[in-house]
Amino acid sequence: MQSLLRHLIRAVLVAALVVIALQVSNAQPSGKGKKPVWDGPKVTQIDIDGLRKLLKPNGKPVLINFWATWCDPCREEFPDLVTLDAAYKGKIDFYTVSLDDLADIKTYVPKFLGEQKAEMPAYLLKTPDDNAAIALVSSEWTGNLPLTILLKPDGTTAYLRKGIVKYATITAEIDKLVTPDAKP
Amino acid sequence: MKRAILFFTAMMVFAVAANAQSIAIGGTMENFSLPDGTGKMQTLDSLKGKNGAVIMFVSSQCPVVKLYNERMNEIAADYAAKGITFIGINSNVTEIEKAEAKPVGWVKDHIAATYKFTVLFDKGNVFADKLGATTTPEAFFVNGSNVLMYHGAIDNDKSGANITTPYLRTAFDSALAGKRIERTSANAFGCTIKRVE
Repeated sequence: MQSLLRHLIRAVLVAALVVIALQVSNAQPSGKGKKPVWDGPKVTQIDIDGLRKLLKPNGKPVLINFWATWCDPCREEFPDLVTLDAAYKGKIDFYTVSLDDLADIKTYVPKFLGEQKAEMPAYLLKTPDDNAAIALVSSEWTGNLPLTILLKPDGTTAYLRKGIVKYATITAEIDKLVTPDAKP
Repeated sequence: MKRAILFFTAMMVFAVAANAQSIAIGGTMENFSLPDGTGKMQTLDSLKGKNGAVIMFVSSQCPVVKLYNERMNEIAADYAAKGITFIGINSNVTEIEKAEAKPVGWVKDHIAATYKFTVLFDKGNVFADKLGATTTPEAFFVNGSNVLMYHGAIDNDKSGANITTPYLRTAFDSALAGKRIERTSANAFGCTIKRVE
């Protein structure tokens, strides 16, 4: 009877160790130098042509936020952007464009977006020429992050913010484009 | 009422104009005086080489700057012998003591351990405003007469793995050879200089 109990305890301990080992292997990168992969929103790689398409409105105002996981103010403003996306869903087209390394497209970028519960379409810009991409967005931009640009349905710039957006300001600018003027 | 509106409009125009100060290519950079990490005042004219200087806006926190630090030191070493010196400027409010124009403790240590050139501190980002600097890293190359020859990125690839257009080195080489600088400005993605509110 005691022998049976010992076997049972040993079996339970072995099973527990196997479960722990499996959990650890799932939580850590499997190979040396590999980055962990997290579930999160799909992030689509674009080049400068893809960026050009995003900058062309399709009947609605377009809001684009350029950001990176390594950019502190970008992370700081993100909760406001998620709130804004929920408030204006269907009224504007809102995209985020990450300037992170391409190697982070399945790791740190979706991880952050997932943590933020971000639902807006997410892109990662990979270009050999930062200067051309920056110039395409705005002549007022020198490449510092974050940058948020609001485009009118005709593609012209309605508002551009270098640095952290102020929620009240950006929503007021959007309201000018999506709310009919009620004044007499 | 009209007078008040006119006054307000004039003040707004003045404010915008004051904020938009910057230096254009071909313009002359005025001599400036800023403190180094010890609090000692340093000037452009005392630091620059016979063929000029690069005013390089840096940050001890910006990951993009960190990718460039080694390259900055390499370029600084390569061109110091040719009469062009590097002058680092830290204008980030988050990295400067509020009461004094000195780096916060860990920034001071980081700069001492990282850069092989002098880094000055721009309390209140007054100098950054004057030049119109917005990003780190961001370079302003002036020749021996303080004329702005190049403004912008160091090269086209922050990772350093695929540099095809080393903007800053090319500008130096052209200026040193007495040739026209083909590309006098280029932008690249970087960190926003953290300004006072």
